[in-house]
Amino acid sequence: MPQVRIVARNFMDMVAALPAAKLDKLYDSSFICEAVLRSLPPLAKKYVLQMLFVDFPMTAKSMEEWVLPDGISKHKVAIDRLLQLRVFIEVTDRKKEPSYKMNQKFQSNMQKYLISGGTLPREAMTLNAVVRLPSVEELDTYALEQWECFLLQLINSSQVEKPTSFSSSMMRAFQRGLLSSSRDNEAPRLTESGFQFLLMETNAQLWYIIREYISSAEERGMDPTDLISFLLELSFHTLGQAYSANTLTEVQRLAIKDLADLGLVKYQQGRKEGCFIPTKLATNLSVTLSDASSRKEGFVVIETNFRMYAYSSSRLHCEILRLFARIEYQLPNLLVGAITKESLYNAFENGITADQIVSFLQQNAHPRVAEKTPAVPENVTDQMRLWENDRNRVDMTPSHLYEDFPSKDLFEACCDFARDYGCLLWEDTKKMRLIVKGELHQQMRDFLRGQR
Amino acid sequence: MASAPSKLYQDDASLVVALLDTNPFFWAAASLPFSEFLQHVVPFINSLLLLNQLNRVVLIATGTSSCGYIFDSGEANSNANANANANALCSGIIKKLEDFVGKDSKIAKGPNGNGDATRPAISSLLSGSLSLALCYIQRIFRSGARHPQPRILCIQGSPDGPEQYVAVMNSIFSAQRSMVPIDSCIVGTQHSAFLQQASYITGGVYMKPQQLDGLFQYLAAVFATDLHSRNFLRLPKPVGVDFRASCFCHKKTIDLGYVCSVCLSIFCKYHKKCSTCGSEFNQGTVDSTTREQKR
Repeated sequence: MPQVRIVARNFMDMVAALPAAKLDKLYDSSFICEAVLRSLPPLAKKYVLQMLFVDFPMTAKSMEEWVLPDGISKHKVAIDRLLQLRVFIEVTDRKKEPSYKMNQKFQSNMQKYLISGGTLPREAMTLNAVVRLPSVEELDTYALEQWECFLLQLINSSQVEKPTSFSSSMMRAFQRGLLSSSRDNEAPRLTESGFQFLLMETNAQLWYIIREYISSAEERGMDPTDLISFLLELSFHTLGQAYSANTLTEVQRLAIKDLADLGLVKYQQGRKEGCFIPTKLATNLSVTLSDASSRKEGFVVIETNFRMYAYSSSRLHCEILRLFARIEYQLPNLLVGAITKESLYNAFENGITADQIVSFLQQNAHPRVAEKTPAVPENVTDQMRLWENDRNRVDMTPSHLYEDFPSKDLFEACCDFARDYGCLLWEDTKKMRLIVKGELHQQMRDFLRGQR
Repeated sequence: MASAPSKLYQDDASLVVALLDTNPFFWAAASLPFSEFLQHVVPFINSLLLLNQLNRVVLIATGTSSCGYIFDSGEANSNANANANANALCSGIIKKLEDFVGKDSKIAKGPNGNGDATRPAISSLLSGSLSLALCYIQRIFRSGARHPQPRILCIQGSPDGPEQYVAVMNSIFSAQRSMVPIDSCIVGTQHSAFLQQASYITGGVYMKPQQLDGLFQYLAAVFATDLHSRNFLRLPKPVGVDFRASCFCHKKTIDLGYVCSVCLSIFCKYHKKCSTCGSEFNQGTVDSTTREQKR
């Protein structure tokens, strides 16, 4: 069920899934090495550092000696990850023992980094007086606006005044999995994962979209390797600096337009040449690979009487809150609503869980209440979970009732048959009745026929 | 899912405050020249910054009579273009160090220009730099925002100054209180009792590398380990810890001595009155039975 979440978390899985040759090609760029290194689990990072200046292969056995007995599972995870990403390469030495060696390109790139330091992917443009650079705040608002606009279009294409320039086919690719349109004339509805997607953090959402973008690009015949490397490279640009678009390759130039729509970069057309300015969303890309530590300021206040105040003028926030709360009125900068049983039941029916709502509320708690623990009143969270449990009190299983057995033996045989398949739900030996899960009905009939 | 907001990052983000020994008396005679030493330290700093974008490194120089901040990666990043370019970083560090050593030697000479003859300045001001590091960490603690996990790394060469005993011990205990481990890497010829105790008490790692030309590998393999990973890794264990104390009266390191029963001050000779708390010792017998063993 919460598939989206997992998918969005591990962008690096996608990198790991690339064929070896392509992966090795990616490691030509030291930025990718850096991003990959930073995405590794802590123990794996440590191993890379330890092996960085070791030229000969190290046996797996001697590596295991580095860890305490408690850490052996973590050690395995780390080694697996390193092998998956081809940072470590398995070699067998003369004694037939498995040993690991570092990927040479990766190694030399990182060695270079340590000795001479990181360089910038490309030089920032020296500015002439004509082009004015937006301030960091302006850039942040721009990025956020663009992103919200995109999300709004994603979930509800009709409501947007300023649609992004994504072609409808591309938009459909993004919507795949999030929206389901049963019929063409009907407005598409959000699926379960779609709802969960909306409640995710911006960075997780971003990675989901990027993933979809890359795979849709693949369908259009672009090489995903180029895109991945460009995206990772982008995250090492300095925030708020302008970079000349002339330094981009053809693929990158195509991509930058789309990325501008997502709010990752701001594209400015100068007199002679265009330039792009990475925003916070872009520079955080590689940061959020490992953990979601950048937080944005929250806006929601929940009171113990289930009233909800959301200090936001964003249409998107309104849409999201509407998923699980009843919006009562909307002021220019404030949404007032309430969390009611009905509104929550709506959410549950759409496949959202109480825990997701609670974590959304906690993550987006207004700074004033975020200081308190818990940020969301306990009675509210408890009640939400209780309501959720209420729904789960009755479990429905389609089933069939069998009765009027001619003999005890046949009844017993049927019970055993059903039990063997794990489909026996209920039996009453006295009245010779049993209930069996619906999926076994056909076999049950065949079985009964055979018994006669 | 993301837990309730905690002040510490869950992951392996660390704040490393590295104390560099810049004692000219030591480096003049050391087997590893200071310039080569720096060539091990700078890649180490780079590697810390490489491992996690949230990592922060602060360098503090420990001179003979003063200490000072040399480098702060947090500040360097806020300056737009200083994006961890190691050449700039390295030359910046060297320049700051030169300034520092010059100033330090001036202070050591005293205002009159003639050396302070009473104190042969062969030990570094470890207590000062430890306090500086702890102050910095406290500032980070109080900055409100989420902060990386702090630890202190002492790269020490010169021998201990027994006269700093009280001050060093106080810093160690305050580090222990604020849960800051003190790692020690000894590049000198002899072990440091202060740092052995510091690492032992605060749960840090104490190590004296055998081969100094491979210093980077020691630093990367042992001291780059973040606190999170330390739970799973075998790290060098202390072979023995020298628990000897310095007496408060003559600042000498002693095995046996007198301890004030009121304030636990340590003396190498019998006194009628405790110089620290002023309590009078009425029993004046000085035979070996009253001598207490001090750990």
